[in-house]
Amino acid sequence: MKVRRAISTAVAVIIAVIITAAVVGGIAYYAALVTAPAPTPVTKTVTVTQTVTKTVTASPSPSPTTTPTKPKPVIKEVLIGLVEPLTGAHAVFGQEAKMAAELMVDIINKELGGIKSLGGAKLKLVVEDCGESPETGKLAAEKLVSQYHPPIMVGAYISRITAGVAEVTEREKVILVMDALVDELTEKGWKYVFRVAPKASAHGKSAADFVIDMAKKKGVKVESAVVMNEDSIFGRYVANGAVIELKKAGIKILDHLEYPYDISDATPLVSKVKELNPDIVISVPYFHDGVLIAKTVAQMGFKPMFIAGAGACGYTDPDSIKAAGKAVEWYTNTYSYNPARPTEWNKKVVSMFKERYGKLPTEAGGIIFYSMMVVKEALEKAGEMFPDDPLNPDHLREAFLALDLNDKNSIAAQLYPTGRIKFAPNGDNVYAGTAVLQVIKGEPRVVWPDAEPGLEPIFPRPDWPGK
Amino acid sequence: MIDPAYVTQILINGVLMGLLYSLVALGLALIFGVMDIINFAHGDFVMLGAYLTFLIATYFLIDPTVTIALTVPLFFLLGIAVYKAIIKPVLGAEPLIQIAVTVGLLMFLRNLALAIFHAEPRGVPYTVFSTPITIGPITIPLSRAAAGAVSLAVLYIVHLLLTRTRWGIAVRATADDREAAALMGINVERVYYTTFGLGTALTALAAALIMTFSRADPYLGLLYGLLSWVIVAMGGLGGVVGVLASGLILGIIESFGMSLISAGARELFLYVTFLVVLWVRPRGLFGRR
Amino acid sequence: MVKPVALLGGKSALYSIIAIAIALALIPLVLGYNMYYVYLAAQVVLVTIMVLAWNIIGGYAGQLDLASSGYMALGGAVSGLLLAFYNVTPWLGMPLGALTAAGLAFLMGYPTFRFGVKEVWYALSTAALVVILQRVFWLIYGSTEIYMPIHRWSWYHLRFSRYEPLYYMLVVILLVTLWLNIRIKNSKLGYYLTAIGEDELAAEALGIDTRRYKLYALLIYASILGFVGGIYVNLTSIVSFRMFDPWLGIVVAVMGIIGGLGSIAGVFMAAVILRTLEEYLRSMFGATIPGIHLLIYGLLLIVVGVLKPEGFAGFLKYFRRRLARGGSGG
Repeated sequence: MKVRRAISTAVAVIIAVIITAAVVGGIAYYAALVTAPAPTPVTKTVTVTQTVTKTVTASPSPSPTTTPTKPKPVIKEVLIGLVEPLTGAHAVFGQEAKMAAELMVDIINKELGGIKSLGGAKLKLVVEDCGESPETGKLAAEKLVSQYHPPIMVGAYISRITAGVAEVTEREKVILVMDALVDELTEKGWKYVFRVAPKASAHGKSAADFVIDMAKKKGVKVESAVVMNEDSIFGRYVANGAVIELKKAGIKILDHLEYPYDISDATPLVSKVKELNPDIVISVPYFHDGVLIAKTVAQMGFKPMFIAGAGACGYTDPDSIKAAGKAVEWYTNTYSYNPARPTEWNKKVVSMFKERYGKLPTEAGGIIFYSMMVVKEALEKAGEMFPDDPLNPDHLREAFLALDLNDKNSIAAQLYPTGRIKFAPNGDNVYAGTAVLQVIKGEPRVVWPDAEPGLEPIFPRPDWPGK
Repeated sequence: MIDPAYVTQILINGVLMGLLYSLVALGLALIFGVMDIINFAHGDFVMLGAYLTFLIATYFLIDPTVTIALTVPLFFLLGIAVYKAIIKPVLGAEPLIQIAVTVGLLMFLRNLALAIFHAEPRGVPYTVFSTPITIGPITIPLSRAAAGAVSLAVLYIVHLLLTRTRWGIAVRATADDREAAALMGINVERVYYTTFGLGTALTALAAALIMTFSRADPYLGLLYGLLSWVIVAMGGLGGVVGVLASGLILGIIESFGMSLISAGARELFLYVTFLVVLWVRPRGLFGRR
Repeated sequence: MVKPVALLGGKSALYSIIAIAIALALIPLVLGYNMYYVYLAAQVVLVTIMVLAWNIIGGYAGQLDLASSGYMALGGAVSGLLLAFYNVTPWLGMPLGALTAAGLAFLMGYPTFRFGVKEVWYALSTAALVVILQRVFWLIYGSTEIYMPIHRWSWYHLRFSRYEPLYYMLVVILLVTLWLNIRIKNSKLGYYLTAIGEDELAAEALGIDTRRYKLYALLIYASILGFVGGIYVNLTSIVSFRMFDPWLGIVVAVMGIIGGLGSIAGVFMAAVILRTLEEYLRSMFGATIPGIHLLIYGLLLIVVGVLKPEGFAGFLKYFRRRLARGGSGG
């Protein structure tokens, strides 16, 4: 008994001690935070090669090599952090993003001679895996920041992981160029985030616009639609974008279905859509359900006027076509990237990617192509605008906002579906837009808004019996 | 008002899916019933079977259903190997240890698939069962009808095996009372490894049927693992009939729930049913022997 | 002779708790206040809390509960949604979360124990519970992700721009959980639970009200997890239906089993070592071979399960015996 009481009292004492310690430590730290001019936490640098030198200016981003004697810093290398899901359920995207980023860094360093306005400084990629949950995402971001503190980071494809990463980058004033598309990410008042890619609802809108446009061109009347999406936040935003656009055009939405992407059987779903008998179906799939739905639609003999996919993955990916075969013929999908855009640099990048990795780039790689190139152009701009301290986060932000890119003056714009890039203050691209791909004879082809030369979108589906 | 033809359609969808679920769960019911071993990796054998089906079907360019000639014997041997290596040492151990070991096996298999095939779904892009059967307003995909018919046939065959053959009698005797069976001269060890082999082989069969309309991905095991256990729990140990009945019940509930209420709440219908059955009939709907 | 419970019984329990408290308190300092390591340490401590809480129902009472992630996410959702929507402080939200989790545990546990659901069926019903919770949350809130408000340094919101405050809060909860574990082990409740865990029928024959004591264990376990959920959502900053992760519940139970059922030291070590190892493997090999860390993890489970069913506790005992022998011999 005595022992037990002793334990309880001792534990109580320890707990009290720790609470006080934590509180006192916290207050002390906060006091230091308020008084200190630059809130640079004392981070231990783990890298062996890096010689720690302080810039003369109050920049909180210690670029790897700077000479303290000259007022103008000499930058030899700019670190770019890449946070992508290299493991887990989303690894498909992260792996391709990493390939694309490595390719772009090589192009920028070798073919374009680095960042010219920074005296030919080279880009260096530091990569970290963010796993499949917000915890691991934040962990990865913290690791990159505490080891390298790169001025710019790119990532992290999945919205909830990106939100975790953005929290870290906002605190540390690191520019985050997002390749995650959920609308909300640029609506949170974050200051240091930019997104070149079109947001989720724009994907839904494009899918609807494509259908409406094609119906007009072919002289068929679309009266009703069913929208369905897998139940992630991304799927919901895309679907909502489509619903709004369809309603605007006076098309009746018969139903809006949501389902988990890992369903074992799509028969109940397809039966229901078939029962509703809409003119068109707009479907926002993930990978797994895309194959399942396409096969079930074929096997159920469901023949609507058109089935348009939205949201970047599912029907038109080379892997999906391989897995679903003929079942996905004539399906479309919206892409944040147009691999067939006939500009000089786009052709070049696509062929280099194909040569190096033996496959065509898809959405995940495409977003990285232009995002990395925008990073390069922003660095150039920062070098011109602020030669004394180009890597200061606020200067970088201004440089991003000052960009106004089009096909003529920039490589980044040549890689972008709409050919124009200019950032709004919230970080979104004002001229964002998507391309629509369609599976034609087992190949994903770009059909809208500018079709590949000599190609016509197939609309309505040839097996549609008509009204 | 809901169209009666649509209700019939929903019912048929549910029945066909339920038959397939029963087939997936049958192997687990056998293994658990006879050996009292808690196998959490059952769903991942289905996943493995799906990948094997995909590999063989695309390599030889044959229909996924034909691959069973290869995959089923292979899986029978695989089952025996797994039994000897992993299951035998934990026979009769605490349920917690058995669960830990089979969860380890599950993690190993799933991540092996992830390491080899990555996360992209793989599918066999062709099958002979690609046309629908249309009867008035009702459409039945041929692949699903075939899967249902094959499942039913296999369930019947296993039922016959258990009731009509010497092996079946030995199995049932071992399930009833291991010691008594051993005393009667039954080779319990042989019963065990053949049962485990058969239980695993059945997953390969189910996987081939699944591949006619679906895809293989590393997380497929999650889908079928828990579901199989729910069916075994509901069916009690009522043998093949119990498994068939609970598979059908779950299939029909799933189909109606998804079609009439919400497709996203699919799992809610399955697991609430499961909990209620567990509370009201702790020994399963059909009792244990 | 060495005492069988030398490390965590009697007076040495006090010393080991003090040692653990000091070690954990010093970790951020030792790690140089590196944000990455402190955040990782916070996650390790969080998992350790989960496994130690699980030890009460799983280790002592022998009920394979797989719903730990469900209770934690429920508590986290209560606390997080109150904070995000109504600006209610987590200091209130966390006890409310604990209460909600305990309430659910009662609703779930009462019929389950009343109707004699045991062993694998109990495990399955708890796994099903997590999925049910996830789907109910999804039906109410949909797939929306709810982000926690951002504050640089607010004790009211428990939102900080660094992780040390949350880390220390977790350490305190860990110590309380550890103390509860020891307390219960040496109490009447603990003896009853151990008896139930070893042989439920025999315990019942001895006149122990098994249902009631199992329910007590379940309530304590659920309350701890519901409470810690509030910190969990502040660590990740996101509330979404994906928090109700059935897989995490299984992992927690597996760590408890590897740790050696009911052995506090073993469970503690298993949680710390395995979570750290997982992160190490993920960050070292994750980029080259996806899933390699989980693959190794799985192999480890099989090996421990097949060769050393007593888990880490078995290894601990072995070392202690060797140390004792060495001491007396030398």
